[in-house]
Amino acid sequence: MELLGKLNSPVMYLICGGIILLVAIICVIFGVRAYKAGKEMGIDTGKMKRVITASATFSVLPGVGILLGVIALSGSLGTPWPWLRLSVIGALHYETQVAEAAGEAVGLKALSASEMTPEAFTTIALLMCFCIIWGMVLMIFNGKSYITRLMSPSAKKKGESAKEGEQAAENKAKKPSFADTAMTAMFIGLVSAYIASYIGHVISGEGSFSFAGSPLSLAVAVVSALAMGLFLFIKEKAKADWIDSFSVAGSMLIAMAAAIFMGKVM
Amino acid sequence: MDNEKYIKGTHRLGRIFTCIVLVLLLLAPFIIGIYLKAMPNMPAVIKGFLSVGIVYLVSGIVEYLIYVPMLGAGGSYLAFITGNLINMKIPCAINARDIVGVKSGTPENEIVATLSIATSSLVTILVLALGVLLMIPLQPVLQSPALQPAFENVVPALFGAMAYKYYRQSKLVSLIVLTLMTLLFCFVPSLIGSTSMMVIPSGALAIALSYVAFKKKMKPAKEAE
Repeated sequence: MELLGKLNSPVMYLICGGIILLVAIICVIFGVRAYKAGKEMGIDTGKMKRVITASATFSVLPGVGILLGVIALSGSLGTPWPWLRLSVIGALHYETQVAEAAGEAVGLKALSASEMTPEAFTTIALLMCFCIIWGMVLMIFNGKSYITRLMSPSAKKKGESAKEGEQAAENKAKKPSFADTAMTAMFIGLVSAYIASYIGHVISGEGSFSFAGSPLSLAVAVVSALAMGLFLFIKEKAKADWIDSFSVAGSMLIAMAAAIFMGKVM
Repeated sequence: MDNEKYIKGTHRLGRIFTCIVLVLLLLAPFIIGIYLKAMPNMPAVIKGFLSVGIVYLVSGIVEYLIYVPMLGAGGSYLAFITGNLINMKIPCAINARDIVGVKSGTPENEIVATLSIATSSLVTILVLALGVLLMIPLQPVLQSPALQPAFENVVPALFGAMAYKYYRQSKLVSLIVLTLMTLLFCFVPSLIGSTSMMVIPSGALAIALSYVAFKKKMKPAKEAE
């Protein structure tokens, strides 16, 4: 328990809070640069404000979910470290799994404050950071060339000027392109993997074709989909485009509220 | 500022900031080690990396290859620094892109994705900072057993809403992919625990089917030309 006191000490808040503050400053710098550049490129400021509003409203609920991840880990790792991990390259799905695996590697029977030692903590902390740095590493060493290749392959080959390249991109955007179809397809694939795993859990989660798995996740997804359907129906009938900014967050909130009641039944 | 100049500056800043954050993040456990008077156990780190880290190495490369085209330069640097890609940043950027109706690969998409990820990251940082501040008095409420089913189901709630939005854009592809993935999970239930890895074959299948449908749709248009 003495260790947990140290893990929740002002020194830990200072180390973790300092890195989080730097990341917040980076976000502000990128956001302000993009807004200014957008204005200079002639992008409608109303559109950009809608992007900001929609993204802010969209992020509140998942943000609360991530906060719960911090709470879940704070019992064994203190509050500042999970706060840092889930603010900087953190991933709600991965953190607990990596922390548990790291704990196992240093010989902990369980990820709990009673078993935690200073050496186990620093080992877990390093592994949590090291395991998911690859996106950042690739962005540093390959990001520029990868994005340049993606954005203007034809312009690079033909030696066109930047403006000609932009014009070509604009003309290309007006034609139906597979890029947008591929993005939608990727998302269909992503969503399908998760929805299918919920169905699979109900059917075979407790043994092949035993139909004994909890249907709660699947039921929550169905309620959320129905709520989204209702939001889009209202949007289309009432021609209320503003609903788009709240439809995803609203659907999630309705489904999460329904989960409380369904959890009692299932 | 023209687009080329903006992108060049974004790469320069992105690389510098990513390097700084990466170094700080990897140094933090050692700085904490000095404070706790216990350094990380490197053989255990290697052992842990070989058991779980390899999975994240592969998924990190795949995420990079798939998501960078969606997010553009600014959005990608920010998204890889702040994380929570699948459950937050990607749906958020796509949602913003759909709301204002911009296309992938355009300068507008670059601006919209960067604004969206920057806003999303700041809101998350703010929610977490406020939450951490309020954690002590709020902890009994948030950890109350009555609310747990709600918070344990944030991800199904997110994917349910996104499923409705995207499935109706390509019903046949959605039906085929969902059916095949469901059969796979039913016959090999052990894969349920590795759903994030199953996104790779599921996404590849959806892209392949969409490509066939796209080619079929474009054929009459090409012939008319």
